[in-house]
Amino acid sequence: MLPDQVLSQLKAIVGPQHVLLESEDLQRFGVDRTTLWQANPCAVVLPSAVTMVQKIIRLANDCNLAVVPSGGRTGLSGGAVASDGELIIALDRINTVIDFNAIDRAVTVGAGMITADLQAFAAKHDLLYPVDFAAAGSSQIGGNIATNAGGINVIRYGMTRDWVIGLKVVTGAGDILDLNQGLLKNNTGYDFRHLFIGSEGTLGLICEATLQLTRPQADTTVMVLGIETFAAIVEVLEVFKTKIELTAFEFFSQAALDKVIKRQGHSAPFATQAPFYALIEFETRTQVTSVALALFEQCAAQGWVLDGVVSQSLAQTRALWRLREDISETLWHWQPYKNDISVRVSKMSDFLAEVDQLVAARYPDFEIVWYGHIGDGNLHLNILKPEDLPQTEFFERCGIVSLEIGELLARYGGSISAEHGVGLLKKSLLPYSRSPVEIALMRSIKKTFDPKSILNPGKVFDALV
Amino acid sequence: MKILVTAKRVVDYNVNIRVLADQSGVDLNNVKMSVNPFDEIAIEEAVRLKEAGKAEEVIVVSVGVSQCQEQLRTALALGADRGILVETDEALQPLGIAKALKAVIDKEAPGLIITGKQAIDGDNSQTGQMLAALAGLAQATFASEIDLGEDSATVTREIDGGLETITVKLPAIVTTDLRLNEPRYASLPNIMKAKKKPIDIFTPADLGVDVSPRVKTLKVEPPAERAAGIKVESVEVLVDKLRNEAKVIS
Repeated sequence: MLPDQVLSQLKAIVGPQHVLLESEDLQRFGVDRTTLWQANPCAVVLPSAVTMVQKIIRLANDCNLAVVPSGGRTGLSGGAVASDGELIIALDRINTVIDFNAIDRAVTVGAGMITADLQAFAAKHDLLYPVDFAAAGSSQIGGNIATNAGGINVIRYGMTRDWVIGLKVVTGAGDILDLNQGLLKNNTGYDFRHLFIGSEGTLGLICEATLQLTRPQADTTVMVLGIETFAAIVEVLEVFKTKIELTAFEFFSQAALDKVIKRQGHSAPFATQAPFYALIEFETRTQVTSVALALFEQCAAQGWVLDGVVSQSLAQTRALWRLREDISETLWHWQPYKNDISVRVSKMSDFLAEVDQLVAARYPDFEIVWYGHIGDGNLHLNILKPEDLPQTEFFERCGIVSLEIGELLARYGGSISAEHGVGLLKKSLLPYSRSPVEIALMRSIKKTFDPKSILNPGKVFDALV
Repeated sequence: MKILVTAKRVVDYNVNIRVLADQSGVDLNNVKMSVNPFDEIAIEEAVRLKEAGKAEEVIVVSVGVSQCQEQLRTALALGADRGILVETDEALQPLGIAKALKAVIDKEAPGLIITGKQAIDGDNSQTGQMLAALAGLAQATFASEIDLGEDSATVTREIDGGLETITVKLPAIVTTDLRLNEPRYASLPNIMKAKKKPIDIFTPADLGVDVSPRVKTLKVEPPAERAAGIKVESVEVLVDKLRNEAKVIS
């Protein structure tokens, strides 16, 4: 419970109507897309200016109040969960375009802006904000930056980090920092901007961001191929990657496709059944398309590819993408346990063989759904909950196997969280990807920016005491 | 039986159309071109009839610029057996296209001709009907179901307020509506095979037809821009605006 005096100060800062205390609001703002934790924040505040955020943070420092920053809450690792009486600061009202410059191809926006709105703004000016993923319609820029969101265009455009050229943040200590100011070249010591990108709200609140925009992508062509084995997917990837500049190389298993088709009513790309499918995208150019066709023939001759289709219109490009993009949402029905792991693309083939074997041995009674951004070395391994198994027991069993996957990843120099972040869900796995020295350094960096440890305590690593 | 289908090259359905500054037409520079979606349905239907053993050959025709061969290749990949291009750089209108198609019918003598009910560029919905008149054949427009018999076809038509079922004598012209079928994707193995399928190219002069335009376009304008939506503070304000500004309630 929030002491009355603190509550009235919060109301004085943001206005009484922007402090939410109704249970419905607390439920809504208190969780992300994970279903493991119960929402239990003490209140939600909705500031409309950076200076308000600063006042709230200073107040939180004064009365030792833990704060959880909240974006679109589409995260998958519990990074935005407030289950322990924390105060939620949601930047939904700091959501407008603050500055746009066509010469710089740069736009400064409030952190609460919805990703899709930024994409639409860029499109209106004949430009592109290229970071894109299924949750773009609800996720916010601030959250994207705090989690360094990836998505479906990473092979071509990189992660969110590659597009942030300026940040305005309020640190845990209550200082306002204006980082990098939209500069392309700026070698003036430590670049704090990059510390905040992917910090999951543990160092400061990202309030405004300046993002680089780029020229729009040309129309794209999509191929969906039916593939025989895990090893063959990597062979196909190598063949295509060396000859064509790809904008995406995604994969999914038969189980994923079956479920998407059944639940979303899409039509199958072709009648041939294949254990795996690859979705390959490239910009439409007659020459490139004919190279792609030749590569398909080459892969088919090797026996890697069983069948395939290629989009003939933009409608088909979109329809084929839906087969991949709708997987995540479709799987929520089964309350999946999600592993989001990555290794270097060159190690993918061996890693896949081992992880496939491990999973098959450890989950004989669970249904496994594979998909992911295989062109980036990123796999989403989803384990579906059997209907009759209680959730806690299910997650316990999955958690144990995750440790084994963690060991495997450590051996391959891989990551236990490729793009979802650590949050609460992957905390216990962090040591498989980061050394004790690194984790200790992270803690001391947190202490520097957030001396009283009020910001998102317990996320990424256990709270400082 | 031979089935003749059409594949018009049109601006892709998902492209944001831009009108040229001089209002003479729409900008086709670097714009994605595709098979007219209603023609895709026609091709699919013809291929299904062939797969069901009701036709021996599917011939696909396109009338237009040389690049229409791309659309013909797509149709060949979808299952058509051979293509015919009536190549011309003329600005094509329904009557000109219908005349060219009539000439192809005279050469090929198909038992059934399936075309899209309209093309999404001009939205005229005239070519099939004009073709039926020029060729003196029966027509069944806006088909949502085709039951092909020996000498006749029973066609369910989508009409205002319901469905109409008619029987037409063959050869006949059928134009396709959206619900007739869901076109398949072009499979890569079939695209490879389609490369070897023949495409014959004629000029309108070869066929003895004049496809020059009869209608003059005065100007092309984009639709008026809609005013942006607004948020209102309360139900009272909403009701007031609906009543006094939008005038949709009284």
